[in-house]
Parts: sequence; structure tokens; C-alpha cells
Amino acid sequence: MPYNWEASKRRMRAALSGSLEIDRVPFFPLACEEIICRISGKTLRELLSSHKAYANAAILTYEFLKADTLSIPTAYAGPAEALAFAEVNNKKDIIKWTDYKVFMVKQGAVCKTEEDIEKLEIPDHSKIPIWDTCISAVSSLREKTGFPQSCALGIWSVVQELRGIQAYRDMRRNPDLLLKLCEKVYESQIDLYNFFTERVGPSRTIFFTGYAFNKHMMSFEDAMKFEGQFIKRLQQETKSRIILHNCGTTPYFDEMCNELDLLAINGSHPLDIEYWIKFKENHPDVTIIGANIDVSRELFNGTPIDVENKVRENILHLASEGRYVVSPICCLPWGVPLNNIMAIPKAIKKWGVYPIKFN
Amino acid sequence: MVFISILLNFNDLILKYYTIECIGNLNDSEIIEKIKNAIIEGISEEAIVAVNTALKGNIETDQILNEAIISGAEEVGMRYEKGEYFLADMLLAADAINDSMDIIKPKLKNGTHETHGKVLIGTPEGDLHDLGKTLVVALLQGQGFEVIDLGVDVPPDMFLEVAKIENPDVIGISGLLTVTISKMTETVAMLKREGIKAKIILGGGILSEESCKHIGADAWAKDGWEGVKLIKKLVEVV
Repeated sequence: MPYNWEASKRRMRAALSGSLEIDRVPFFPLACEEIICRISGKTLRELLSSHKAYANAAILTYEFLKADTLSIPTAYAGPAEALAFAEVNNKKDIIKWTDYKVFMVKQGAVCKTEEDIEKLEIPDHSKIPIWDTCISAVSSLREKTGFPQSCALGIWSVVQELRGIQAYRDMRRNPDLLLKLCEKVYESQIDLYNFFTERVGPSRTIFFTGYAFNKHMMSFEDAMKFEGQFIKRLQQETKSRIILHNCGTTPYFDEMCNELDLLAINGSHPLDIEYWIKFKENHPDVTIIGANIDVSRELFNGTPIDVENKVRENILHLASEGRYVVSPICCLPWGVPLNNIMAIPKAIKKWGVYPIKFN
Repeated sequence: MVFISILLNFNDLILKYYTIECIGNLNDSEIIEKIKNAIIEGISEEAIVAVNTALKGNIETDQILNEAIISGAEEVGMRYEKGEYFLADMLLAADAINDSMDIIKPKLKNGTHETHGKVLIGTPEGDLHDLGKTLVVALLQGQGFEVIDLGVDVPPDMFLEVAKIENPDVIGISGLLTVTISKMTETVAMLKREGIKAKIILGGGILSEESCKHIGADAWAKDGWEGVKLIKKLVEVV
């Protein structure tokens, strides 16, 4: 029987809009390159050799995981965007490829000097072969399944990739230079958004990786200055709603929700479920995608029963009024036992059917 | 143009000389305070001038290290823990510490000073991010540790090879991406299997106390400053 993507679409729409016209809690895994390679048995180069192959492998992976979401991993931490910058700025040699993981660019190597920032060329994503493949694969996903696709963007994740640790020195010593780099990254993100829209169609939601918003990294004011203001501009320019991803350990979720217009947040910290209960009370219009299910804990070290219990705890406290999606954070790494991952949809079936009732 | 450049350099020299002279009028404890404050504020230039002045005034290198540099680093750490300081402040302080250490290091080596311990550190294979590691390296050096930095994307056998030669007290493996957990596991397993006695500490928010135990490492630090504190404790145990 073919996978029912239509039902998944309805579930996600209901969870994001706060409707209780929903059969069960949706499941939103972050299947990045590694897990797609693992489940499809293909190397990353094979996947990227054709957009159809990549799309088919992604569909296979998400269907295998019994997921209610579907995407091509281009977003997290900005490796693909760093690659685009490396390519157009003649620094292809700093790209490192591995067989079953995402390619990477040496952090800080693209914008090593001030001159590199001044002269930084903005990529035309339609002319970068990997982006062409990825966005075409996104288009294929949409055509094959009818599942709506979100454009994935970010500012600070890319800035960190391009400038490395020097970005933090700039923050105090040369903030104008750092802002110049942020502006260039923003320009590039708009180019990517436009390319996505042309090839895939309008993106009603943007999956935004907001890595500046971590308490141990910078003050909230700095996070707003170097990333938040660009989120606001992006919203004005695109009219899209934002799903904000932050897999850091000290996220400013409350502050972000007060300052920015967010449709949903996607994160796994703090780990204290009480925080999330309060968060839901304080921000009833923001959908929680995640809460405290972290891939490096029960999923990595525990048993399927441990995972089921963790999912149960999240559903029990957060799902009954809707606006909740089960999501382990962050990308599912190689070492996580598949039985543990599969315990998530099993637990959802057991505990997450609406109306949610616990004995 | 050349004339302007000479003039600017001349001005710079006068300013430096004037600064040294001004600091030169301070007593020993005021100079030590000056170094410490320069570190806390993360102003390398001031720290360099003050350290040079201290040495010129025959202040003991151990006093500079303990009362100015280490004490300054501890204050920076405290401010970070209280949420008053952030990564940028820590990094600039670490730069000031390193610049100060570069000046006093040759003198420490000639004296009786011993390092607080030897730390081998690197980012696991497949991870090219070095933010956390860079900070830890700078802070450890400032605390008087000998640090061998293997850089990023370090395969398990390179950790092993260098550990065999250098015999460190602690091995630190710092990663940012969840996808590198498997390489951390492989590295720790190899080091243990080959009988490396050094304590192993893992770093990065991608891990947890539980996953650290699961991997078989001795400690886990969620951020750079916690890493430095834990390494100090581990060295005491060793």
C-alpha cells in the first residue's frame, strides 16, 4: 500500500495551525545525509549524482522512518551554503568530501581576512551544481508526494562557516565588518529563496536555522543584531512564516518568541519537561516541534523502551491541546540503533492518538 | 604617502613608549592588576605592554602567571558562568592570555616552573568545526597547560599515534555535529583498546553525560569553559 503522504500533510497542517482535527501527533525526524545514506545504501556522491536518485532516497528514508515530514537535507549548519560560497570565490580546494556524511568546508577558510569579506562574491544558486541537484530534488519530492516543501535558510550558521571563530572577535572589535558579512549572507539567502520559489513554487513556511540564539554564545541583543534583524527582514520580504530550528543547549526560545513572529520552534533543550510545559502556557500560538527528545540521550544510549517513555512524557505533557510534533533533535547520527528510532512512531501510535488519553 | 606612513608609525611608537612609561610609574601590585584587568577586558595590546613592563621591573614570572594571568582567566570564567560574558569576551580574553603567555613562556622554561599537565586535543574525523576547541586550547595554555593541538578532522589512529609518543595526561575530543558521534566512539574505543592511560574528555553540546559514559570516555563538557575546569580536575586525579 502506498505511503499516505496526504494524511501526513493534514497532520502537520493541523499541528502548525493549532487545529484538533487531527488523528494523531505527527512525527518530524531530521533525516540528514548520513541517515539517508544509511537507509538507502548509497554514498553521498551517488545521491548527488541525480536529483531523482536523491529524491527517491529521501522518500525511501522518510517512509521507512514512518515520518510525517519530508525534505532534502540542505539546511543544517550551512555546509551546502558554505560550499556555494567556496565555489564562487575560487576556494573549491577547501571542500572535504566523505562517502556517507555531508561534505564540509573548513570553518573560517572562506573569509579568512577582511579583504575576503570585502570581495566576497554572492553565489548564484542556480549555477551551483549541488544546489541545482538539491532544489530539483525538493521539486521532485513535491511532485511525487504532493507534500509541501519549506525553503531552509539561516544567517549565523553560514557566517560561522565562512568566518569561523574570527566572527566572535569581530563581534567586539569590528562589528561593522561582521554586519557586512551578515548582509552578504542575507543577500545569498534571498537568492536561494528566489531560486527555490522558481523551481519548487512558493514556500509558505521557512525552516530557519537560528544558531546565534544560544545563551552561552552571545547576548540576546547581539543575537538580534547579527541574526534576528535578518529574520524580521526575511519575513517582510517573503511573507512566509518561520519555523525556527535551534539545536543548541542554551536556546533563547522564550525571548525569540517575544521578539519574533514564529510559527513553530524546533529544538531539544532545555531538557527539563517543566520548561516546555511553561513554554506552552506562555506561547500558546507557537507549535513545539521537539521539546526534550535529544538524539544523544535515550536514542543513542537507551533501549526502545527508554525512547518510548521519553516520547510518552512529551505527548502526555504537551500534545493534548494540539500544536505539538514529536521530533528528536538534531540529525539522526549513524550510531543510533534503528530499533530506537522506530520506537518513536511506535510510541506515537500507542500514546499520541487524539483525543489523547492517559490512564 | 610614505611620509604619512612613517609619521603614523612614529606616533604609534610614541604612544607605546608613553604607555610603558605610564605603567612604569606603577608599583608591582598595580602592574599585576593592570595585566589582570587587560585580560579580563580582553585587550591584548594593553596586556602585552603591562607584561613587558612587569618583566622590566623584575616582577617574578610566577607572580605574573599566578596573580595576573591565571587569576584573570578565572575571573573571566566566573563572569561567563554568571552570564555576564559570552563567547566573544572569552575569546578576546583568551587572546590576551596567550599573548601574555608568549612573553613569559621562555622565562618560565628557563626557571623551575613546570606545566600543570599535558593535554592532547583535536576535533574528530569528519568534523571541520573548531570553535570550541580553539577556545579550550587558548584557555588551557593560559592556565599553564602544555597543549598539543591536532587540529580538525583528526582520524582515530592519529589520536592514538600522537598519544603514544606524547603520553598526555588528558585527551580532549571536541565535536559540533551529531554525525561525528560515531567517530568519537571509534576514537575512544581505539585509545582504550591500545592501553592509553590518559583520561579522555569529550566536548560539545551534541553529547551528554549519558552518551559520554556510553562511549566510554571519562568526562564530558558542554562548553569550553566547563572543559577547562574538568581538565584541571582530571589532571589532579592523574
